[in-house]
Amino acid sequence: MANLEARLKEVKTIAKSPKAQLKKYLAAGKKVMGCFPMYVPEVIAHAAGMVPMGMWGAQTEQKLSKLYLPAFACPLMQSNMELGLRGTYEGVTAAMIPTMCDTFRCVSQNWKSGVKIPMISFSFPQNRKLQASVEFLETEYEHVKSCIEEILGTKITDEALENSVKIYNEHAKLMMKFAEIVPDHLDVITPTVRHEVMKSAMFVDKAEHIEIMKDIIAGLEARPAFNWTGKRVVLTGITAEPESFLKIFEDNGLAVVADDLGQEMRQYRTLIPDEGKTVMERIARQWNNRYACPLAHDEEFSRGDHLLDLCNKTKATGVVVCLMKFCDPEEYDFPLYNKQLRDAGIPSLSLDIDQQPTNYDQARTRLQAFAEIL
Amino acid sequence: MITLGIDIGSTTSKAVLLEDGEKILAKKIVPLGTGTTGAQTVFENVLEMAGITPEQIDYALSTGYGRYSFELAKRQISEVSCHAKGIRFLVPTARTIVDIGGQDAKALSLAPNGALMNFVMNDKCAAGTGRFLDVMARVLDVKVEDMGDISELSTKEITINNTCTVFAESEVISRLSSNEKIADIIAGIHASVAKRVSGQALRVGVVDDVVMSGGVARNKGIVRAMEKEIGHKITVPEDCQLAGALGAALFAWDELLKEKNAG
Repeated sequence: MANLEARLKEVKTIAKSPKAQLKKYLAAGKKVMGCFPMYVPEVIAHAAGMVPMGMWGAQTEQKLSKLYLPAFACPLMQSNMELGLRGTYEGVTAAMIPTMCDTFRCVSQNWKSGVKIPMISFSFPQNRKLQASVEFLETEYEHVKSCIEEILGTKITDEALENSVKIYNEHAKLMMKFAEIVPDHLDVITPTVRHEVMKSAMFVDKAEHIEIMKDIIAGLEARPAFNWTGKRVVLTGITAEPESFLKIFEDNGLAVVADDLGQEMRQYRTLIPDEGKTVMERIARQWNNRYACPLAHDEEFSRGDHLLDLCNKTKATGVVVCLMKFCDPEEYDFPLYNKQLRDAGIPSLSLDIDQQPTNYDQARTRLQAFAEIL
Repeated sequence: MITLGIDIGSTTSKAVLLEDGEKILAKKIVPLGTGTTGAQTVFENVLEMAGITPEQIDYALSTGYGRYSFELAKRQISEVSCHAKGIRFLVPTARTIVDIGGQDAKALSLAPNGALMNFVMNDKCAAGTGRFLDVMARVLDVKVEDMGDISELSTKEITINNTCTVFAESEVISRLSSNEKIADIIAGIHASVAKRVSGQALRVGVVDDVVMSGGVARNKGIVRAMEKEIGHKITVPEDCQLAGALGAALFAWDELLKEKNAG
């Protein structure tokens, strides 16, 4: 068992250099599946013996992506295209790309036309509560499975799928446990460290990451609870990075006690259920159970309630909305949950998140003013 | 007890020396912003005006974009909070503040007791800020401080449609080449800024009294256009551009009292 400090150092290295992880897996003879945001069925690729790795762009200047996308396209998709066209993802065997929103629909075509890495495209049904939608998604996932089988020249057995589902659920439970105990260890788990733990999960085989998380959780639980006297906030949005952005929270005495971020806990808070006639049906049903996310249509609109619940549980007194620039689904949600937060007396601050190198002077002013309000 | 509030903005530096949290001993605006000699100059100017030495300042607090560059400051507070504090001192009934500075525009909402409740700032671009007006003044070959008076001569408002400062500049050039009157174009520019900033004010919720702060508030044309857009009367205190520095000096006074009570 590695100690907490060593594990936190390890996740920092992993989160900062996914390319090194890719090289490590390739050198070990592994095949890597690129996973676009969000909710792609990584577990199917895992069952094929691949290492699924997240493709969530990077802080990079956009040049080649401009051949395909307008300046006002989602920064995540722009940088994924940019890195794909530039060859940064070289070595990845294939990429799973869902059609989550309008930009995604275009990107799936752009990728096919401009990037050499094979693409496995599929759709999530938005009428998620119908039995027909489960059946539809099962068919989509069968298509994903057959694409992987064709690329690798192997068969994915139900037994392998069952095994991978177990690993993914165990991993998700550990991520939930970590998120739950973070508010008691805000001396060690700064906003940056919390993000690094979350982000590292995207670049490590989940079976390996389970061991990392067990050590981190055990290390934290061995420490006494820390009495944080600063302010506590919840983050919501798609991503909250880079480090220089999170550093502003630290400089202003703001602790991140919970998140509702696509790149972080949204992925882990819903398990693959036990119910289902087949293992593929169970995997498909996970999509039905996802909640409080603008990318998965939610008739109840539970995001506001979810944010309030997170604030109550973690004693957060404010919500920072990390609004991915030009992300329509996120922007449409904002007025609705913001009203709920305001009515409940929880102030919120909305900040634009971009993936182009930028300075954060204005964000610094706004976060400082927000901290002063809290 | 003397406190110093210094507001180092993007285009100007402002300082206020305050005695016992009440009496303004000296105030000064220097048209040089962060990264220049502006902060040092304005500091030396207020010392000279008040006839005191730096050692006689009991607490210095800085705000504005350059707030971390002023070494004498014991603490830094955001300009959002400082403007709220400063304006509330100047206009005790203020509930909504619209502050247009050199490179950002903000709308602030205050509770009845003056506490800052919410704020909105421009994010994606410089439209609706002082910089936008600077660019337009240059194209029109007028002084930015004269734009308010000139706009009073307008007989018809020319609409400026582009949000982007660069595109709006081209649009203004095209209006000039169509022989439109400068006063009418300036009225259109003011309306364009007002439309942009009023959106922010509406987002935080407009409650009387509405007060404008920041250097742009000295432009009567903008204030008129803003009143038209939000449908509320706007108060502009004489020291509107000094509100941030004044707020910083007031916060410095609060810090002194805290230290005194703790000690």
